[in-house]
Amino acid sequence: MDFKLSEEHQLIRQSVHEFCDRYVCPIADEVDQEARFPAETMKRLAEQDWMGIPYPVEFGGAGADYLSYVIVVEELSRACAATGFILECHTSLASYPLFKFGTEEQKRQWLTPLCKGEMLGAFALTEPGAGTDAAASSTVAVLDGNQWVLNGSKIFISNSPVAGVIIVFAMTDKSKGTKGISAFIVPAGTPGLNIGKHLNKMGIRGSLTAEVFLQDCRIPKENILGGEGQGFKIAMMTLDAGRVGIAAQAVGIAQAALDESVKYSKERIQFGKPIGTFQAVQWMIADMATDVEASRFLTYHAAWCYDQGMPYSKEAAMAKLFASETASRQTDRAVQVHGGIGYIKGTKVERLYRDAKITEIYEGTSEVMRMVISGNLLR
Amino acid sequence: MAGIWVFADNRNQVLELLSAGRSIADGLISHLAAFAADRQQAGEYIDCGADKVFLLPELPQDQPFESLVPVLADAARDENPDVILIGASSRGKEIGARLAAALNSGLCSGCIGFELDSAAKTLKMDRLIFGGAGVQTVVCTQSPQIATVPPKTFEPALPEQGRKGDIHELKAPPPSPVRVLDRVPRQRDSVDITEAKIVVCVGRGLEKKEDLDLVRSLAEALGAEIGCSRPVAEELQWLPEEVYLGISGKKVKPSLYVGVGVSGQVQHITGIRDSKVIMAINRDENAPIFDAADYGIVGDLYQVIPRLIEELKEALRA
Amino acid sequence: MLRIVTCFKWVIDDADIRVDAESRKLNLARAGYKISSYDRNVIEEGVRIQEQHGGTLAAVTVAPPTAKPCLKDALSRGPDAAWFINDPSFADLDAHQTSEILAQTVRSQIEFDLIICGEGSGDLYSQQVGPALAEKLGIPCITWVNKLTFDEEQKQIIAHRKLEEGMEIVSCPLPALVVVLPDINSPRIPTLKQVLGAAKKPVHDVNMKTLGKVPEAHLRTDKILAAVMDRRRIRVAGDAEGIRSVVNSLIREGVIS
Repeated sequence: MDFKLSEEHQLIRQSVHEFCDRYVCPIADEVDQEARFPAETMKRLAEQDWMGIPYPVEFGGAGADYLSYVIVVEELSRACAATGFILECHTSLASYPLFKFGTEEQKRQWLTPLCKGEMLGAFALTEPGAGTDAAASSTVAVLDGNQWVLNGSKIFISNSPVAGVIIVFAMTDKSKGTKGISAFIVPAGTPGLNIGKHLNKMGIRGSLTAEVFLQDCRIPKENILGGEGQGFKIAMMTLDAGRVGIAAQAVGIAQAALDESVKYSKERIQFGKPIGTFQAVQWMIADMATDVEASRFLTYHAAWCYDQGMPYSKEAAMAKLFASETASRQTDRAVQVHGGIGYIKGTKVERLYRDAKITEIYEGTSEVMRMVISGNLLR
Repeated sequence: MAGIWVFADNRNQVLELLSAGRSIADGLISHLAAFAADRQQAGEYIDCGADKVFLLPELPQDQPFESLVPVLADAARDENPDVILIGASSRGKEIGARLAAALNSGLCSGCIGFELDSAAKTLKMDRLIFGGAGVQTVVCTQSPQIATVPPKTFEPALPEQGRKGDIHELKAPPPSPVRVLDRVPRQRDSVDITEAKIVVCVGRGLEKKEDLDLVRSLAEALGAEIGCSRPVAEELQWLPEEVYLGISGKKVKPSLYVGVGVSGQVQHITGIRDSKVIMAINRDENAPIFDAADYGIVGDLYQVIPRLIEELKEALRA
Repeated sequence: MLRIVTCFKWVIDDADIRVDAESRKLNLARAGYKISSYDRNVIEEGVRIQEQHGGTLAAVTVAPPTAKPCLKDALSRGPDAAWFINDPSFADLDAHQTSEILAQTVRSQIEFDLIICGEGSGDLYSQQVGPALAEKLGIPCITWVNKLTFDEEQKQIIAHRKLEEGMEIVSCPLPALVVVLPDINSPRIPTLKQVLGAAKKPVHDVNMKTLGKVPEAHLRTDKILAAVMDRRRIRVAGDAEGIRSVVNSLIREGVIS
């Protein structure tokens, strides 16, 4: 068992770190406080070959392993959780279904520009009435001649305001429950596709999240992704892969919280000594360091399982569950270590605290993670 | 033959090296030699302690100063000096390195101080490493022992009446394949900050460029020149490169250094470490500069500076 | 065809250095290593010239065998091939030894037109290897260059040297060695494809069997200590009283009058 990262993985981490120092960190506060989408960073991510990391070179991807992707998301998130998430949503949620279920033609037409970073992708599953209960979907798709007609509304769809293509999930046969959901490729600008205004979020504010409205939205027949009724399976498999990405994001956030706390503990002087000399603070730091290390290993292990072609659903759920709860707990501790200044905008831990929470919720809540893990063990 | 040689591409450094060279020459009971551009300069160097001066040949316009290296190497092979001290200007560093290679000897670059072991006839030389975090003490195991010395490491030698010395002309070097096409002199719009007795240094704590006026009034009250830390010159470009103090900028040795909103990273401290007194104003009590300062005022510079100017006027009037 | 050789060094990351204030010992035990930041500009300049004029680009380093990770790092930044001149005794070489080893290797094995070196290494910063190497190879040397162009027709380089008195613009026929400053370029960040592609590029392993004897050091290091700043460290508040006390101290010390 080799716990050492390969030279390539170390170099990848180093290059993302440098990239963040140069391009991401200087604008992270502004991106958060102004809820500004970092378009210039997206362009640079494409130039670095990071927009399609785990996908084949023939479709514009980098042909790298999932662990490489996880490292990139982790390091980006450490600098700016919003940027890390935009990349994760694009790579795991939008590109993965196309990669796994697309026809050659669909891959050529849609996966390739996504991997090259020529356009961003989004994934529209969640609805106002269907979050964890995905089967309660009310968006419908009806075949009319050689077109599918979609009607319905989606909510909390990340990247949707800037996406060139959205993978939309809709009911093609209500009587079949989850087996009646299908997946569709909906290009931006299709008449009948409307993106609502941006939702004002607590954290990861640089990532744009909006409602998506489909009103007699007509797409070619060929735009169904996978077979009819395969939609739920596609969504679940996509979310499994995505969870490893979110776990990586959470690890990055937790690591940043630890870094800031260590730095502050050495510099902040109270009672004539750095606060890092007080046991209360030392124990907080020790717990934080241990938890982030554990989160990282769970996440890398899940990525490794994926790369080995082994089942990884349980591992991904464990990683996301542990890492996200760690991120929330850790960022809370980090603000505590900082005291009053940790509560002020402009202090990094204030932003981390707000960014962390969503990792416990999206791409499957922690409750769903527990269902997946126990289901795996108790079936 | 032997001899302690000093060489620099500018007069000021030659004078500084003459004083250092004198102490080594006395310690090793050897003569002190310098290199001059012309007879007048040679006379000055003799007045300042040189027993012997080599006259450098005049170079054709299209030849860089460094084309002298073969001539220097030949002279060294003829005379076998024990020690060669070279002023560490940009040119001096190249000349030192090439000379050490040509003479198959060793070079201590950036020598900030030395101790002479008269018995072993060696110099124990100190130099900074790891960006200024460490001090390395080296001894050259070959002869001549060569060192390049940064400006203002030593005090300039003073002239004395009645000193005598020999002058030798050096022959012209072979033409170098490196040809000078053009020379563009640096615009000297500000005073040379390395000459200033008092320096006020601006750091990132200053919020906007317009606030330099506040700093200027402090500099006026002190009779100081204004310098800055690297980010203020390179990134913000509020002040010219010539006045940025640090490991890759200027190194200063004023009587008083006042850091205003300077955090005190080791790269900056390396440029100011030899100041007689270091004072810092910073609102962050944990700023590293306070560990490197004699006097630290913890406070908002926008409030401290006006008060400081008032106190200075009061106190200096009395 | 233009044959460019870039020299780089694998150095301790000085951000990782710990100091024991009492003993003045430098603790390097947990320090990571990286390509010296000055040498990143060197490699980038080589890449830049190759992009404009074609030819081959090699990255060369003298290091102990433990420095092996430096090769993929360097290759991911653009060179076509690397030369790893290594031996366990190469951990603490002085500038004479490094330049001598480089000179021997270049003379016997590496064909070149242009050698590019950095202004100094991030650890010892002797600033000697470039000019010393040129001297040993008997080729012209141009130092402190912040702008470099290659004149294909005349087969010469035009370099802008940044000196205290101003800029000196020089020309020199090849073969030559150039020492570049960090402000010559901004090194690009390796892309993922470049990182993955590094493993496929050839590495020439040069060891003592080829070189023979290790040249002796010409500088002996007696000791290395942490730099100390023995300052008074008197701290006052920014109120009128505190400021007054500082002003009085400055007058007393005679630094203001």
